[in-house]
Amino acid sequence: MTMIFSIITLLVASATDTLTSAYSDLWQGVQDPEHGNVIMQAMASQGLIYVVLGVSLIIWFVLIGYLVRLDKKITNLEQKLPE
Amino acid sequence: MLRVNPVTHMPKLSVWKYLLILWMTAVLVAGFLIRVPEIPILYETSRNLFFHVPMWFTMSIVFAAGLVFSIRYLISSRMRFDALAESATLIGILFGLCGLLTGSLWARFTWGTWWTFAEPKMNLSAMALMIYVAYFILRSAFDDPEKRAKVAAVYNVFAATTVPFLLYIVPRQLPSLHPGADGNPAFSDLTAPELRLVFYPAVIGFIGLAVWIIQLRYRYVMLGKRLERHESG
Repeated sequence: MTMIFSIITLLVASATDTLTSAYSDLWQGVQDPEHGNVIMQAMASQGLIYVVLGVSLIIWFVLIGYLVRLDKKITNLEQKLPE
Repeated sequence: MLRVNPVTHMPKLSVWKYLLILWMTAVLVAGFLIRVPEIPILYETSRNLFFHVPMWFTMSIVFAAGLVFSIRYLISSRMRFDALAESATLIGILFGLCGLLTGSLWARFTWGTWWTFAEPKMNLSAMALMIYVAYFILRSAFDDPEKRAKVAAVYNVFAATTVPFLLYIVPRQLPSLHPGADGNPAFSDLTAPELRLVFYPAVIGFIGLAVWIIQLRYRYVMLGKRLERHESG
């Protein structure tokens, strides 16, 4: 439950960083990636390599988050098991 | 049958799981170290091809497997196929969620926005995921396991048929920022053939990882069923 709340908080926080109107469907319409707050500028530095790191970390956290949940459920099951 | 470590007396992992660990480690290292071509706007993020795109490949394969298990349940009425279908669908959603979140981050730094409703692939894949979330909402509405399994299996047949349309057919007919849209094959925007050297192993690796996690969840579900039978009988 706390995980869901933190995801929502993250989404709301990042929504303030989003363009409000749809732009043309051309790549030329792309906004400068360095636009935004300090975190966004840091992410956009070094040829965007931190975006690749971010992508890898998202996958890692989603999968490990699920494994943590499954581990807890298995523990639950073990406790129900008669000795 | 059961292979045990002579020192710790713990059961050994299957060989393919050790191989998968090595394989994925190699994919990760190669994904970060391989030389990528200089593509304007993308720069280093063309490496995301090895991480973001396999999420959707894995999701599609896993949902297809879920469809097969659901059909096998409908044919045989054996509960183990229901457990397999449920596990596959859940892990498919997990990988779809990874795909959405990674895609959103990538979009922020290449398209300039976390989310845009002008992008059909983004919105339709979110829709496909919601159809699958509904699978679990539907399951939760039934107390009788047999009835739950049957209705869920029928629903899964419907859900799986929407996936090719929402992820491949419709987005390719519409103008879009996303590579692979507007009739173009996905690789035409990232034409470096050396990227495929890491991309295909990454797809195989992530599918292997999905199979592993599905298996873990399936074993958990079946263990729960055995415990229930043990308690009632």
